[in-house]
Amino acid sequence: MAKQGENNIKLGLFVLAGLLVLMVAFYMIGKNRNIFGSDFELKARFSSLNGLMEGNNVLFSGIQAGTVKSIEMVNDTTIEVTLQIDSKVKSFIHKNALAAIGTEGLMGNKVVNIQPVKAASFSVSNGDMLTAQKLISTEEMLQTLSKTNNNIASISEALKATVLRLDSSAIFDILNDKTIGPSLKSSLGNINKASKNASDMTMGLNELVTQIKQGKGAAGLLLTDTAFAGNLKQAITKLKSASDNANKLTLQANMIMTSVNHDMNDGHGTLHALLKDSLIARKISISLDNVMKGTDGFNQNMEALKHNFFFKGYFKDLEKKKQANKALPVQ
Amino acid sequence: MSLITNTEDFLEQTGKISRFAGHFFSHGIKPRFEIKELLSQCYLIGYKSFPLVGLTGFIMGLVLTMQLRPSLVSYGVQSELPVMVGIAIVREIGPVITALIFAGKIGSSIGAELGSMKVTEQIDAMEVSGTNPYKYLVATRVVATTLMLPILTLLGDAISLFGAYIGVNISSVTSLRFFFTQVFQSLTYSDIVPAVIKTLFFGFAVGIIGCYKGFNSTKGTQGVGISANSAVVLSSVLIFIIDLLTVQLTNLIGLN
Repeated sequence: MAKQGENNIKLGLFVLAGLLVLMVAFYMIGKNRNIFGSDFELKARFSSLNGLMEGNNVLFSGIQAGTVKSIEMVNDTTIEVTLQIDSKVKSFIHKNALAAIGTEGLMGNKVVNIQPVKAASFSVSNGDMLTAQKLISTEEMLQTLSKTNNNIASISEALKATVLRLDSSAIFDILNDKTIGPSLKSSLGNINKASKNASDMTMGLNELVTQIKQGKGAAGLLLTDTAFAGNLKQAITKLKSASDNANKLTLQANMIMTSVNHDMNDGHGTLHALLKDSLIARKISISLDNVMKGTDGFNQNMEALKHNFFFKGYFKDLEKKKQANKALPVQ
Repeated sequence: MSLITNTEDFLEQTGKISRFAGHFFSHGIKPRFEIKELLSQCYLIGYKSFPLVGLTGFIMGLVLTMQLRPSLVSYGVQSELPVMVGIAIVREIGPVITALIFAGKIGSSIGAELGSMKVTEQIDAMEVSGTNPYKYLVATRVVATTLMLPILTLLGDAISLFGAYIGVNISSVTSLRFFFTQVFQSLTYSDIVPAVIKTLFFGFAVGIIGCYKGFNSTKGTQGVGISANSAVVLSSVLIFIIDLLTVQLTNLIGLN
């Protein structure tokens, strides 16, 4: 009988152990599904659930906070999801928090993510409606990616053509030429110098302009002195009147010349006789011959006089004076 | 001719087993209960089977983990190993392996025990002495197997998961706590409840087949061996049939 009792104790232990395992398993699952412990409800409305199901997890800032309790169609574009949230996180969820449907990992189960917003707001209360945030689904993402891929394909095609053209063009030779580097460098040096010169020049010009502004130099005077402008105007006026006079003078001279010309052509006056009458010219020539002959005769007469003893002394004195002047240099 | 005989035999067997099971419900579970005998049977059937079930469960968990690992590594999801092993063990491997081991150990022992009692006419003697042999022998054993197998399965699952934990730790490192968090993260009540319920049916099947075969054994000592053998074979097949029915039923209900 003692054996029987011992066996019964063992059996009791065995059964209890089995039931304990069952209870632990139930509790572990229940803990994940928020069946035990106090909780409250939140609601969110989505246009598409992307496969969210009852019992899926709800994460608040990435922490397990509850499960999806129920899903209800409100109308054809609105689905209301009731979330069962652990009351431990109640004080941390604010009324302006956003609810979004996401995925655990890349391919995992759907989850509802509740994300806090920085703006201040009150804590949620039981049954509050959270704002739903539309998330891009994988399908939409893939569609966009497909478009992008097409674009990239066409771009790369175009790039390929461009590169091929570049490869055969002169630019490539230029790029390949190693001597271009140094010469480009020296060109740049020259440009640098030139620009330095230009800078100097500009500075000089600047100085000049400043001086001109200040009224220094001829140009400055020209540009800045108002009195000078008046003088210049006066001078120009005078010049004008002078030229007018000159004009009159010329007219008069012209008239005189015309009359002279007229006289000359008509054969009046001395000028005409001098310039146009050939007879007079011959007469003058003959007269001049006669003058020459006269002078020759006079010369001979004078020579004869020199040798005449009346006048010899005078001429000798003259000679002596001349020689004395030569001997004594002028002091 | 033999086909018809076989078919007739098969149908006759099925009918007899059904009648035997119906007799259990109509007469077996009515007072007075043989509590003392039931407890001793529970001890023999449940407690005594635990080391065997624990050992096979542990090895099963370890081997399953090591076998699944390479294919998960090739998909790059070896971190999901606890999830996968957990679901496999809790939903299918644990209940079925435990039930098969249980059928092998308990089905044969019941078949042989009752068979030898039948051939040595102990059962007839019991009937004469005023004890209802059906209540005393069959009902206690069937109730014991029905109640003990779920408990054995649960304990076997726990040991099996521990084996899986060691299996995971052979080639990578994970903490026991994180392992069980991962396992229970993926489990739901719809995984555990049908698994526990079906082990009740497995246990009932093992007990009822063992008792039937023992109760109907003939041809002396040779018949004892036959009834023990056929009890194991038939109950093993029934375990798989019940398993199939359960999975179809849970699918139908939508628990899967």
